[in-house]
Formats: sequence, C-alpha cells, structure tokens
Amino acid sequence: MKIVVLVKQVPDSGAERNLRPDDNTVDRSSANNVINEMDEYAIEEALRLQEAHGGEVTILTMGPERASESIRKALSMGPDGAVHVLDNALSGTDALGTSRVLAAALQRINPDVVLCGAESTDAGGQVLPHMLAERLGIAALTGARKLTVEGSQLTIERQTEEGYEVVTAATPAVVSVWDTINEPRYPSFKGIMAAKKKPVETLSLADLGVSAEQVGWTGALTGVASHSKRPPRSAGQKVADSGEGGVQLVEFLTNEKFV
Amino acid sequence: MNFVESTEQLELRKAVAAMAQGFGKDYFRTEAREGRSGREIWLEAGRLGYLGVNLPEKFGGGGAGIYELALVLEELAASGCPLLMMVVSPAICGTIISRFGTEEQKEQWLPGIADGSKIMAFAITEPDAGSNAHQITTTAHPAPDGGWLLSGRKVFISGVDHADAVMVVGRTSSAEGYLRPALFIVPTADIEYQPIAMELVSTEKQFMVFLDEVALPASAIVGGADADLQQLFAGLNPERIMAAAFSVGLGRYALARAAAYMKERSVWGTPIGAHQGLAHPLAQAAIEIELAKLMMQKAACLYDSGDDRAAGEAANMAKYAAAEAAVRAVDQAVHSLGGNGMTVEYGLAHLVNVARVSRVAPVSREMILNFVAQQKLGLPKSY
Repeated sequence: MKIVVLVKQVPDSGAERNLRPDDNTVDRSSANNVINEMDEYAIEEALRLQEAHGGEVTILTMGPERASESIRKALSMGPDGAVHVLDNALSGTDALGTSRVLAAALQRINPDVVLCGAESTDAGGQVLPHMLAERLGIAALTGARKLTVEGSQLTIERQTEEGYEVVTAATPAVVSVWDTINEPRYPSFKGIMAAKKKPVETLSLADLGVSAEQVGWTGALTGVASHSKRPPRSAGQKVADSGEGGVQLVEFLTNEKFV
Repeated sequence: MNFVESTEQLELRKAVAAMAQGFGKDYFRTEAREGRSGREIWLEAGRLGYLGVNLPEKFGGGGAGIYELALVLEELAASGCPLLMMVVSPAICGTIISRFGTEEQKEQWLPGIADGSKIMAFAITEPDAGSNAHQITTTAHPAPDGGWLLSGRKVFISGVDHADAVMVVGRTSSAEGYLRPALFIVPTADIEYQPIAMELVSTEKQFMVFLDEVALPASAIVGGADADLQQLFAGLNPERIMAAAFSVGLGRYALARAAAYMKERSVWGTPIGAHQGLAHPLAQAAIEIELAKLMMQKAACLYDSGDDRAAGEAANMAKYAAAEAAVRAVDQAVHSLGGNGMTVEYGLAHLVNVARVSRVAPVSREMILNFVAQQKLGLPKSY
C-alpha cells in the first residue's frame, strides 16, 4: 500500500502568532515553526497502516526552504521518504492554488491513500482534503476518528458533533483525521539518526507542470483584505453571593441564552 | 571548540522532553510518593532508544556517547521525570561492560540495559570505607570450583529492589594473600538487602546490601580476573557527568516553575517577577545552572573523545558546580512562590532534599574540592 501524508509547517500554536502588516499573511519569520499538530496524527495513522499492511509512506510538503526542518522531523517518526515542493513563486498561494500543486505532486506519486490532518492550526479552513479529492477525482473521507482498511476498502468513523458516521470508499482516497484517531509516537533515537539519510525529492512548479500564474499572489482567488488584533476581553460580571447568588447566576445564563 | 549542538542532538532533546511531558511531572511525583519506580516511563524511554544512546549499536544501543545520554537525563529531569537509575544502569554499568566486559557479558547485559528491560545497580560505598575505593573490604575468595565466594557490606545502593543484578566493587584475594580490585556482576536474587528509610521523594529507594559468601562463577568478574581498577574509573566519569545532568535538569525544572509563577502572580498590580528582589536571584541561579551545564558538556565531550584523564577533572568540576547550582536554584524557586512554594500542589518543596543529594552523592563536594586542591593546585594532602 502506497501512502502519502500531507504535512504542513505552521507557526507553533502554543506561542503568540501574528499576521504580517504588509501582506496580511501569517508571520512565519519570527515564529517557532512546527509540524501542524493534526498532521502528526495522520503520520501516526499512516505508520500503523504500513505496519499492518506493508507498503511505503511518503511525506508531501509544500513550503519554503525552512519547511525541510519539519520534513526531517516527520521522517524521524518513521516514514520512508519525502517530497518537498519548493518554489519562490508559491508565496501567497491560497487553498485552491495549494490543492492544484499538491494534486499535481500526488499524481506523480500515485498513492492508494492520502492522509492528512483535518485542519491546520494556522488557516483552519478544513477545505484542502475536499479540494484534492475533487481535483484527483477520488473519494474524500474526512474528519476520521477511526480508519480501517480491508483490501481496497476504506472505512472511517467520521466524527460529528453528536457522534459519528460510518463512511466507506474504495482506494484511492483522501482521508483526513482528527486528533481522536490515535496517539502519535515520539521519534526514537534511531529514527532521529535515520531521518537525515532518507530520500527527500525537491520539486519545482516546472517539475509539476504548474505555471507560476496559476499559483502565488497572481493565481489566488481569495485574499485577506485586512486584519486587526482581537479586542481585549471586557470585564466580566461579578456575582456576590448573599444567599441568592445561584438565582443571579441562572438569570445571567438565561439572559445570555446559555440555558 | 564547538558550542553548537547537531540537528540530531537538538531533535533528541525535543523528543525526550515531549515524551517526558506526555507522562508528566505529576505522574512521576505520584510514582515516587507511592513507592513505585516509574516503570512505564523507564520502559518507554528504553523502547525509544533513549536509555541506551551511549551503548554500542552492535548490542542494541544507539552508538552515540555520554554527551547524548547526559542530554537525555537533563531533558527528563527538566520535564519533572528524573530517571535516577540512568546514572547507574546505562552510564556506569553499561559503560564498564561495553569497554571492559567479556563478549559473553556484553551479549548477556547490554541489549537489556539499552532497551530498559534489564537494570543493573552499582554498589561501591561501604559503611567503613565510604567511597574510598582503596579501603574497600568486600572480598572474593577463590572457591574450589574455580569461582568466587564474595563477602562484604554495602550502603546507600540505589534501586536494588528493581535491579536484575548489582555490579559490586570488591577485591579478590589470591593464595599469596595479595588483594586486587575487581568488579563482580551479582544477580539480585543471590543477595540480601534492606531499604534505608530516607527523607526523599524518589522513585529509587536506597539499600544496605549484605553479601555473605555469595557463590559466583568465574565469569562473574567484569573483564576477567586480570582486569584492573582502570575500568572502575572508566565508569565513574560517566557517573559524575550524569549526576551533573540530573542536577542541571532539576535546576532548569525549578527555574521554569518559578518563572511561570512569577509571571502570573500579581500583587499590587504588578507581576512579582518584575520585582528585582525576586528576578535577580532567579536570574543568578539561571546563570549558575547554565555555567554548570557548560562544564557538563565539556566533560562529556572530553570523555567521548577518549581522554579519560581530562574528562575526570572536568566531570568532577561539573558535578560539583551542577549540585551547588541546583541547590540554590531550587531554594530560590521555592522562595519565589512564597507559601505556595511549600505546598504539595506546586510540586517544588520536595526538590529541596532531592537537590541536596547531588552534594553528597556520588562523591561529596569536599572530596571534589580535595581532588582539585591536590591535582590542580598541587596542595598537600591532609588525609
């Protein structure tokens, strides 16, 4: 089974993140850049599939030069190799453009299963798996909290607010996962040492047959017009309990339509 | 000289810290308080190859050095999970066996020490000799079957209860009455031991060990009967480097807890961390920890380069500096939290005693000062 895991490098969600004042994109220069958290669950799921069914796991990343750090980190968990789409013309690419580039890269690799996190911690659009499936003409099994494979049949439990839905599809397919699906492994010392010896293929837009006009700022159909900081939280309402604090609390909750 | 750690070393730091934080400081403290050994995190660290980074790849290790092993212990301690037996099992025993053991001993012990499935304790200290290896009275007499009968007493031996074997420092007596130092691998099942009640919250208990004519095969001597005391010192340098790593990590943990508290805690409208009366002593402690860490790294680099002699001096100095820095860092951290510093909830007060351990073990600071006074300064000896 050939598995590709999409890995995105994002600014650490545990630290303060900012948008750049000049072009309203995420400021990656000052941030501590890490693997998008949900993607680690996708890597873990891919490795478990490989352990159970054999085959090969490839990391696919689109991003600037420094994204190679995240590729190496991903490889230290155990995947066999990686593809890094690296091109200066990619700066400013929106989700549609990203899906165009990644779809072109996936067509070269021709995997049975594409695994990815259900969302990224920076953009949070949750749209990429669907876009990819549409471009590739394959099924999208999204928001999985469980994935099982029998032959070429994939079954997921799609997490919903109330519970879950069972969705099936035949390979090839795109599967996006939530952090409820597994517990990602920590890199072993051997994995860390082996990571730098694993093959990483670097591809440009020309290699993928995508023109620079279709991506980047020129190709973007969406853009961020402006941004501002979240306003500071206003002071809350204090309830002093002099025997009927409970009633006041319920009144407050009722007024705010919480109950 | 190079102060830049490799990408692999930095990744190892991150991986170990993430793993330890996954278990968490509360897990570890509960294990210690309830008399357990932290078996789960020990085995996980072993499975991931962290415990055996310094051991040869041929025997299941990572093929790196004491530098990497010290880094692992530092990160574990900095995350609130100091696995003290790392000082003993992979660092002392693993080093001695891989450098001086017979092929049979390597095959029997190293893979298990590397993956954590086997633990070897180390017994040197005696009630009457302290750490003075020249006055050790534990003695092995030749047995008629070609083996040895080992007798003696040891005190303050860590973690005997969950060790598979104990490496015992003793001496062999020959027919001519000549005594020479030797190291014996003794299965824990063959020895008697008693816990010593300690005022310590630790996953490792301390023991008295009683050896009463314990029958050992000839193959129990590390490296064979002709091996010399050199191999003992080969294991003691890593021990001191690891003791320094333990203290540096502990100090980092205490500083981070105090800094987090001092940023949040606000009296009279300002976080208390803004007050120089608290900020400066903590900054001072941070500098001392960093300096001690630098010496630990120097000692580890020297050791890994094969320079045992230069490593010896640096390792002793690193152990001294790290212990002193950790005691002060923990003391200042506890003080920074005011009354909260002494509560169980904030998880710092118990470290006051833990940090002090490194002042007396594995060698007291006074013995290190003696060593430096005589070896480095050429001053006369008083004892």
